[in-house]
Parts: sequence; C-alpha cells; structure tokens
Amino acid sequence: MTANTASTMTLLSRGRHIASITPRGELLAPPRMTATALRLLVQVCLVVYLWRGLYAHTDSSAGLDETQAVTYAVLAVLANRIRGLDRRAGRDTVIQHLHFGTIVYWYLRPMSPRRYYALRALGDQLYGFGWVLAGYALSLAVGIVVPPSSYEVAAVFAVSMLLGQLVLYYVMMLVDLLCFWTLRNESALLILVFAQNLLSGVYAPLWYFPDWFITLSAFLPFQATLGVPLSIYVGRIGVDDAFVQMAVQGVWIVLLALFTRWLWDRAGRRVVAQGG
Amino acid sequence: MPLTAVIEARGLSKVFHTTVRRPGFAGALRSLVSPERVAKVAVQDVDFRVGRGELLALLGPNGAGKSTTIKMLTGILTPTSGEAVVAGVVPHRDRERNAHNIGAVFGQRTQLWWDLPARESFSILRDIYGVPEDQYRARIDEFDGLLELSEFWDTRVRHLSLGQRVRCDLAASLLHDPPVVFLDEPTIGMDVVVKEQVRRFLRHQVEERDRTVLLTTHDMTEVARLAERVVLINHGRIVLDGPLQEIRRRFGGTWQVRATLADPADVEEIERIEQRGEPALLPGTTGIGVLRREGPRVVFGPVGDDAPTVHEALKAVIARFQVTDLALEENDLEDVMRAAYLSDVPAQGATEEFAVQAASQGG
Amino acid sequence: MTTRTTMTAFLHSWRVAWRITRLNFKARLEYRGEFLLGIATGAIWQVSIIVFASVLLTRFPGLGGWSSTDVLLIASMRMLAHGLYVLFLGRVQYMNILVQEGIVDPCLIRPMPVYRQIQLNFFPVNAIGDLVVAVGLFVAALQRSSLDWTAGRIAYVVAGVIGGMLVEAALFTALAAAAFHFPATSYWSQWLEELMGTFGSYPLSILPKAVSAAFTFVVPLAFIAYFPAGVLTGHGGDMGVPEALAVASPLIGLAAFVLSRLLWNWSLGKYTGVNG
Repeated sequence: MTANTASTMTLLSRGRHIASITPRGELLAPPRMTATALRLLVQVCLVVYLWRGLYAHTDSSAGLDETQAVTYAVLAVLANRIRGLDRRAGRDTVIQHLHFGTIVYWYLRPMSPRRYYALRALGDQLYGFGWVLAGYALSLAVGIVVPPSSYEVAAVFAVSMLLGQLVLYYVMMLVDLLCFWTLRNESALLILVFAQNLLSGVYAPLWYFPDWFITLSAFLPFQATLGVPLSIYVGRIGVDDAFVQMAVQGVWIVLLALFTRWLWDRAGRRVVAQGG
Repeated sequence: MPLTAVIEARGLSKVFHTTVRRPGFAGALRSLVSPERVAKVAVQDVDFRVGRGELLALLGPNGAGKSTTIKMLTGILTPTSGEAVVAGVVPHRDRERNAHNIGAVFGQRTQLWWDLPARESFSILRDIYGVPEDQYRARIDEFDGLLELSEFWDTRVRHLSLGQRVRCDLAASLLHDPPVVFLDEPTIGMDVVVKEQVRRFLRHQVEERDRTVLLTTHDMTEVARLAERVVLINHGRIVLDGPLQEIRRRFGGTWQVRATLADPADVEEIERIEQRGEPALLPGTTGIGVLRREGPRVVFGPVGDDAPTVHEALKAVIARFQVTDLALEENDLEDVMRAAYLSDVPAQGATEEFAVQAASQGG
Repeated sequence: MTTRTTMTAFLHSWRVAWRITRLNFKARLEYRGEFLLGIATGAIWQVSIIVFASVLLTRFPGLGGWSSTDVLLIASMRMLAHGLYVLFLGRVQYMNILVQEGIVDPCLIRPMPVYRQIQLNFFPVNAIGDLVVAVGLFVAALQRSSLDWTAGRIAYVVAGVIGGMLVEAALFTALAAAAFHFPATSYWSQWLEELMGTFGSYPLSILPKAVSAAFTFVVPLAFIAYFPAGVLTGHGGDMGVPEALAVASPLIGLAAFVLSRLLWNWSLGKYTGVNG
C-alpha cells in the first residue's frame, strides 16, 4: 500500500504543495507583499547612499573601490531577502511550533520532520529567488549594480552562490534545531540572526574588518554563505582563487549536513522523551 | 471484549525527569549552578485493549496521565517500560507505518497551516500521506457532508472560529483513512450545536467506517452519548475499566425509585419487611432496599456494595409489583465523576507503595 | 491630605512593580541554559554593532568630518540608551506576540495600567548582556574623549542617554499601538531594530540630506545619540538641523515618548480582543 502510493506519486509532486506553503501564504496577504517590496527598496537606497557617502573621500579601501562596494552591498541586501521571509506571521517557525505544542504533528506524519523542513525551505528559497531576480534586474537597469566582468565570473559566481545558499540553509537549520534545547526566546533568535548576518558579510564585506575578525571568520561557516559568492561577483576574489573557496564551501556543506542530521535525530529523541 | 484488539497497552509506564527549584531567591540562584533532578511518574502500569470499531473514552482529572497515555499510543512518547501496540505496530518503533494507521487531534493545537485556507492544508496533507486523488475527493465530500466544512474552508485558518477550526482539524486527521483515531479533548470550548455535530461525526466514523476511537474529554454528556466503555485513570493508574454504568455503581451511584403500589397485598409485604428492621432489603433481589414509605408510596434505594444500577432496580420493581405511578431519580453523571476523581482508592489499593516508589526514584 | 494619599499610592504602585520584577527575574532563573544564553545574546548583539561601527571608523577615517573618538561617543551613548530601553521599556516590542497569545485581554481587567503590565510581563535577561557591553564601551569612550567633563556636560550626557532611551521606546511604542490590530508588526519592528543598529551609531552627515532628514523626522533615530553626542563634541552647527533642535534632543525624546503613549492609549481604546 505504502510502496504503491509512493510509486504513483513521485517525491517531487508530493513536495510541490509543501514547498508552496509560504508563497501561497504571501500571495494571500497583499499587504505583506507590499511591505516586502517597500522594505527592499528602502534598504537598497540606504546602502547605496551609505557606501557612496563612505567612499566620498576615499578611492579604494581594503581592495574594493566604490563601484565594487556598492554592487556588493546591494547584492547582499537582495540575497538576504531570499530567506528574510516572515514565517512568524504564519505561526510556522520551529520556535513557534515548540511553543504552541504543534510540533507533535511533525512527528505523527509519514514524512520525517527533516524532509518536511527541507521541502519547506526549498519552496521559500525559490520564492525568495523570484524577488531577488526582480530586484537585481531593476538594480542593473538603474545602474547601481554592475554586471559581472565576464561570463566566466558569472558562471563561477552562480555555482558559488548555490553552494552558499546550501551552507546558509544548514546554518539556519542549526539555529532552528537549537530551539529544541534552549532557545525559547524570540529575541535571542533575532540577535543570533543579526550576528550571523554580520559574520556572513551582509552588512559590510568582511574585507574591511580587522585581521582578527577575518581570521576568526575563516574558521566559521558564515562567510561561505554570502561573503564568498559576492566577492567572486565583484572580482575581489579572482576566478583562480574561487575554486579553493568553493571547495571550502563544499566541506562546510558536508560537515553541516552530517551535524544537522545528527541533531535532528537527537531532537526527535528529545521530543519522544518529553512529549513535545 | 472483541477478539481483535486494535489498541493494546501492556504495562505502560512513563517517568519524566525534571529539575526542581529550591525555594527562595538564593535557592533560585543556587539552582542555576547545580540543578536538582527528580523523577515524576506520570503513568504507571496501564493495561487496556480497545477493539475494532469501538469507541473508548479515557477519563480522569487534569494531570491524571491521560495525555501522556495518548502520546505513548501515538508514538510521540517512548514508554519508560511496558509496550503499546496499535494496529499491529509498536508506535514509537515504527513511526512511519504507524503514521499511516493513526489520525490524531490534540485539543486546541491545530495541525493546519495558519496562513492558508483550510482546504489548502488538506491538499498538503494529501501529499504528505500520499492519498490517491479519487479517494481524497470522496473523503473530502463525505467530511463536508457531515461537518459542513465548505461554508468556511476557503477562509484562512487564522480567521476561523474555534469550532470551525477543530472541525477542519478532525477532517484533516482522517484524510488518510486511518483505522485508529486519537482525540485529546476535541470538543473543548465548542458551543452545543457544534459539539453535537462533532459527536454525530464521531459516531458515524465508528459505526459506519469501523474506526477505533480513543477519546479523552471532560464533557460527561459526551461520554454518555458516545462511549460504550470508559477507562478511568487517576494518579497515573487505571482505576476502572468497564461500561459507564460501572462507574455509577462504584462511585456513589445513588438512585431512588419512587413507586405507588396498586396492590394492597404488596403494601402489606413491604410493611412486614420494614418491621424486620434495618436494612429493609427487598427479598429476592440483591442490594435494593426500602428507604421510606407513606401508605402505598414506597421509595426504593441501593443498599450495600453490590447494589444494582437504577435501570436494573427499575426492572426488578416493575417485575415484582403492580404500580400505578413510577418515578426515578439518579445522581448527575458529573456528581458521580466528582466522587470518582476524589476517591483515593486505586484499583490495586497501592497508593502508598506508589508514593514511596516515586520518592525513591527522585534521589 | 490629597498629596499624601497620592504619594502613598505612588509608592505602593512602585513597590508592586518592584515585587513583580523580582518574581519575573526569578522566573527567568528557572531555565538556566536560557538565562545564560540570554545574557550572551545581549552581549553578542552589542559586540556585533561595535564591530560594524569600528569597521567604518577604521576603514573610512574622518567619517563625515568626525574624529573617531567623537563617533565612539555616538556609538556608546546609543548603546547605553538601547540597553536601558531593553531593561525598562523593551517589552512593547513583544506586543504582537502578547496580543496573539491573548495575554493582553486579562490585563484589561486588572487594576494596573495596561502599559505597565506589559512592561512587567517578563524580565529581559538579555538587557544584562546589553548593559555590560554598553557600559564598557561608554567608559572607554569617556576615557578617550578630550572633552572637559564639567557638571553641565555630565548632566547633558545623562539627559541625552535617557532621551535616547525614550526615543527608542517611543518608536517601538508607536509600532506596538499598531500591534493591537495587525499581527504582522514583528516584521517592521525587526527592521526598525536593524536600522537603529546599522544607522544609529555614526554621523548621519555622511548620508545625503534627504536621507538624514528622513532619519530625523520620519524615523527619528538621529535624536537617540547622534544629535546629543554632536552637541557635546561641538558639531552642533553642522548636523543639518538648527542647533537648538539638536540641543533639545532629550526634551524631544520625552515629547515623542508622551505622544507615542497617547497613541498607544488611543489604540488600546479601539482594541477589540483576539478571537481564538
């Protein structure tokens, strides 16, 4: 019976509805879409002004000129949008499921919480990617972002960005999984996200940071999420060096995948011991 | 009891380990450094079986261990000892297979997606459970017919009223046609009309679809309307397992049958019984006594431990006497339950042993 | 006689508030992992902002014509104001959650102002971390500064920090007024917090006039620390607003807070409760 239904429905078609939960919720709430567009627009304008202002008396800093810095900053704002979705309004964050006790249903279904989580995340990413593409096209058109210097750079960037999104997916999953143990505090979650943004190079490229900070970052997965792909895009990391960085991204993906798998297991056992 | 047990609990026990805080402000600071851990027995040695197409109500006061029992049977909780078998599967060991066999609604916790219309939640669950499209449609139609879901299933869940949401949750839990259904206080906070609708729905599921339902509730009317059998649980142990009448019998099921006797010979007989002294037992019956008499008007009541139920007594009185007028009074079911909850007599009479055990595990 | 009774009533209400705060603090101690994590996250938040600000300071010297010690004063005053805000008034930020969980409804029938009950809802453990870092940075800023710390300047710094706290509280209180009716305000308060973290700690004069005007009159984060620190360090005339306005920052903070409270009360009057 189970095998039968599994063969008639591929995972893809089973996952389609799960993946579209967030986009459907957003499309049903037009004010939220307007808010997203407004916030994205204002944030892009702000970073453009900020970096132009900072470069007013400087030609180049930490190996980045004004065009590179502005391009980097705008892309960072856009890329951050991919996962800046408001699942909280939909009462569908892990922390809320733990709070309301609805997490038990994740463990009562014939689909592992890990797979369900992955399908949801995939849908969120694809939906967010739509926003990013629109924002990117608009930014290119008005000239605040320059295109990559060559097709080669564009291709390497695309691969690195994909790897970076995977690393990001695991890092965010890690924060969500932490909720099963201690994090019942929403503000703590926000702060962790902020720190993670900072370490990823969302607010400013890590090149500007003091040496100790760069060294510290080298041992953490965060810069692999955005800092590396965006640096490849603006040409701060050359194509030749890019492959080493992408290998590092790959290592992080493997490590985090194993670690989070282990944590899912532990989280499941924790739910099973305490009843959600 | 039916031959095939669909739900079977054998010696189920669950011990939770929690940290306790020391009293006072300094105590709280000290607990920050070295917390003190204690064990708390939530459920102990619970045994029962539920057959196919049977609806069993699990009753008991708050904190008695009902939810813990349900969670062990659904596989969310792993029992500390003992075993649960649901539709041939040990729930916590084979979670995915178990998931196809059971449906569950936990009171006010909804499994629907807050931001989506309820109907879209159904189609997500259809995908998760892999329900074929034709069956899905048929079931949705059936549930709509019984619960009138189409009136509101295009509304986003966040805007549904409690009754509407729980009705959707019930439908959601049955979409994959599970033979076993667990309902933890499904009708809590509903108005009487919706409650009645949900009860009809549940009865339909049991009688027409042959589902096995395990239900917890505090609503005694519901128990009286739905449950053929109840399991009463208190302090984590089963106190009683049997028909609802059994609870009446055990816990202050006082009743009175008032009869006006037509035959003077019968009145004289009663008079003779009364003169024999206390207790004035009716000969040929067990546990029916004469409480008062005013001429031909006699009041019968239960006497002793093995007194019959009010219905049995009624039958006995009618069989024996010719009556011109008959009235019966029975304790409210809620009063009976209050007596049952407050009574400190566990099934095996082992309260003290239980307390000692709990304390020693706390070390 | 009336003054005496109002005085006793006043003292009594503060005693009650203090007692509740003590209980709240104890309640947070119950979960020790979370308690320690709460302190840590507060510290992480502040350190992240310091790192970000220091990046801008070291990479782009002469930020908008300000010396780095002067900018440090802005950053540390903002942080101190933020820490105090979190400690005393930060609970307004959770209004949307409190409304959704139906915690506001019982507050309406208790004999204590609803706003105060909201503030006494739980103890903000992260404020401890916030304040520890903020005080450290503030002491460092005072040591570096070459200003002559007269009684007048000290009084103005204190007033400035309190004013900054009130501005931040006013912004979040105004948002909280909306939370009575719209559940998705967390989206905006998150953004507001991020804006204050990224744009509140350094001179707004590096931004174009229109943008700094927006930060003065629309989202008035200029009054939190930029204006008072500017007045102290002698930048009074070149901040794009009449100097008197900058000097009046503490008063404006107070006025903004009073206005936001009025708005909040008005919104509370229109509150119709949550349906389950």
